Amino acid sequence: MAQHVRARPLPQGSLEAEAPRQSLVGPLEGLLDGLWRILTSMRIALVLILAFAVLSLVGTVVVQAPPGTLADPQAKADWLGQVRPKYGGWTGIMDTLQAFAIFQSLWFRVVVAGLSISLVACSVHRIQGLWRTAARPRVKVADRFFEHAPQHETILAPSADQAALARLQAVLKRHRYRSLVKDEDGLSLYADRNRWGPMGSLVGHLSLLVILVGAVVGSTFGYRDSSFIVAEGSTAPVATDGLSVKLVSFKDSYYADTGEPSDYASDVILYKDGQQVGRQTVRVNQPLRYGDISFYQSFFGPAAVMTVTDASGKQVYSGGVPLAWNTNDGAHRVGTFALSAAGLSAWVVESAGADDTQIRPGQVQLELYQSSGDGQAVASQVLDQGKATKVGDLTYTFQREKSFTGLIVSRDPGAPLVWLGALLLVGGFVLVFMFPHRRLWARITPRKGGSTISLAAIGRHDTTVGREFTDLVADIRQALQTPAKG
Amino acid sequence: MFKMSEYSLIAAMLSTGLALLAYVAYSVSGIRAARLQTAGMPLRTAGVGFVIGPRTASIGRYATILGWLATAALGASLVFRTIATGHGPFANQYEFAVSFAFGTLAAYMWFEQRYHQRVLGVIALAVGLALMLYATSIPSNIEPLVPALQNNLLLSVHVAVAIVAYGSFTVAFAAAVLFLIQPETGRWGLPKPELLDEIGYRAIVVGFPFLSLVIILGALWAEVAWGTYWSWDPKETASLVTWLLYAAYLHARIVRGWRGSRSAWLLVAGFGATLFTYFGNYFFGGLHSYAGLNRQ
Ligand code: HEM
Repeated sequence: MAQHVRARPLPQGSLEAEAPRQSLVGPLEGLLDGLWRILTSMRIALVLILAFAVLSLVGTVVVQAPPGTLADPQAKADWLGQVRPKYGGWTGIMDTLQAFAIFQSLWFRVVVAGLSISLVACSVHRIQGLWRTAARPRVKVADRFFEHAPQHETILAPSADQAALARLQAVLKRHRYRSLVKDEDGLSLYADRNRWGPMGSLVGHLSLLVILVGAVVGSTFGYRDSSFIVAEGSTAPVATDGLSVKLVSFKDSYYADTGEPSDYASDVILYKDGQQVGRQTVRVNQPLRYGDISFYQSFFGPAAVMTVTDASGKQVYSGGVPLAWNTNDGAHRVGTFALSAAGLSAWVVESAGADDTQIRPGQVQLELYQSSGDGQAVASQVLDQGKATKVGDLTYTFQREKSFTGLIVSRDPGAPLVWLGALLLVGGFVLVFMFPHRRLWARITPRKGGSTISLAAIGRHDTTVGREFTDLVADIRQALQTPAKG
Repeated sequence: MFKMSEYSLIAAMLSTGLALLAYVAYSVSGIRAARLQTAGMPLRTAGVGFVIGPRTASIGRYATILGWLATAALGASLVFRTIATGHGPFANQYEFAVSFAFGTLAAYMWFEQRYHQRVLGVIALAVGLALMLYATSIPSNIEPLVPALQNNLLLSVHVAVAIVAYGSFTVAFAAAVLFLIQPETGRWGLPKPELLDEIGYRAIVVGFPFLSLVIILGALWAEVAWGTYWSWDPKETASLVTWLLYAAYLHARIVRGWRGSRSAWLLVAGFGATLFTYFGNYFFGGLHSYAGLNRQ
């Protein structure tokens, strides 16, 4: 029960200056022509947009695996195990269909690629017509048009044709229409306003491609570390640009009445090749920006300040060890640091709390492993705070607890394109919607004692357009029918 | 101020309730009159639109006055709340429910001014009232802002723009429902299908650019707070779905076979997606939580 609510469309291209028709011959041309028709088809575009919507919907209702999880077989098996209770026997099928990583899936790529190609094709397809409509409109149209246009009117004026034309043009100018006149078998007039409005459609559609290019540039050439960790008093290197970050202090604050967090603030110093290039308190809505690299506050936790000395009393390690990981049972926070000279890697395990009988609050457990070979455990020892303890050849001290901060470090060279695209998107579509192209044709034919003026307009057949046309016609009628003065 | 805001909400609810009754009475009275005029003619005779007699007209005037009253009271509630909290109404479900209801009422009243189709008010005001009732059923206490939400200017603009978008979508939804319940020639003296189609389109012409802006402002916020403008978070993805459905609608209106009722169904789906975006935290997969509340 399709309901045709718009006016009958006029024959394509009948209102623009004629363009040479390409003649298409041969099977190859026929094929290309068919392909072109598919790519520029509004129906296909509609289906692609809906497919995009459906895939995105899947992405909101089906739990998506954290990035990277599905690439690693072990992590993948663990993760699927976690969601299996929820999806039961469907889990395997959904995994095969890539439903858990829908935005990286083949489906998604195909739809995005299809839309991009279609967008390019459509824009190319429409540009000529849009240009011609705006820049080279047809001034003289067939007589038939004045009888069949969605809106048309005939006015009998007492003045001769040239005088009537002048009055008509004056009214149109008042209504902010520009007009073009052609004197050939009688006077023909074309008038329009907002002729560049429809170009906004092109801008709006192409902006989508700009955004897409920005996203691809960002993910191809960007840099992102979403768990850059540094403990208070320590300096950690950033894996790019010779940068390093020192955390001077970290403070988390809470509202007294609700206990909800109120602020996370990392006071950091940024070094480039050893030189200080910036210092700022990084907060959740206040990233530190340096060139095209930004540092964002992301998470935080405790750090254990450890010092290690060798038999001669020389310090071989001193620093905050971020306890940024959890033991497998999730009860203890753990962190690690390397003692490269001794060939050891050390793990620091924090107490699980007041109920922990093995590691009391205020203690940490030190676990030493060989850093080469099969990572054999070497020793395990509980350390009291502030008490130097000899384990193997070295002496370890757990000085005190501090904080570490977790920052996101990111460089996105595509972001400016994305913002540009966003601007063009809104600008373009606002332009089409707010400044609809209005067009009007007139023919002035002399008759005995005056002239006949036929008017015709096309446009969406709705009340707004209708009202505008009626108002305009009323003005024209008034101007033309008042007898000439003097 | 907090109390003032709550009283205003109650006042708004009462006047919306009364306005809704008046809109229903208006519709029934007009449709009845249309029925009487077609009495004796074959049942599905088209042609007679809504009939506005003197009685219907005066009920209509009361309905409109009550509608404006409700809109004003709801607006006042938002203003008082903003003064009380010191930030725009973006911090929790309650604030957003009240905003959404305000957008619905304001957008409807604006379209009524332009098109005088009060039958739409029955649906639009019912949606508005439901949102207000929902608002009163959830905690409304003012809580200080968690760090991620401490971006007053950006988020206030974000929510203000969203109010316009969501309000327009509700009007489009109302128009689509009335369009869909009658055959193409019209029935029962309901507003004519052509006119409903036009109202739906006009509402999307306003709503679509505004929704685009909502998404872009959300992306700006995400960039500043989390270092990425887009992370396929369920909330932002749901708003993308909504945006795509309305984009599909704008195309469907000019594709043969999709004009009319299929387009109208897309408006219904778009409104469904709007609600889904808003209530999404009840549906989204268990690993995610309401953007901004549980993330830092
Ligand atoms: C996600 C992708 C797309 C979005 C968001 C989108 C959005 C829009 C919007 C908002 C409009 C209405 C404003 C206007 O007239 O410009 C529109 C119209 C239009 N779109 Fe798209 N579009 C998309 C893809 C496409 C594609 C792939 C095609 C090519 C077939 C296309 C062809 C058109 C055409 C021809 C119009 C003009 C309709 C008219 O004359 O009223 N669009 N689009």
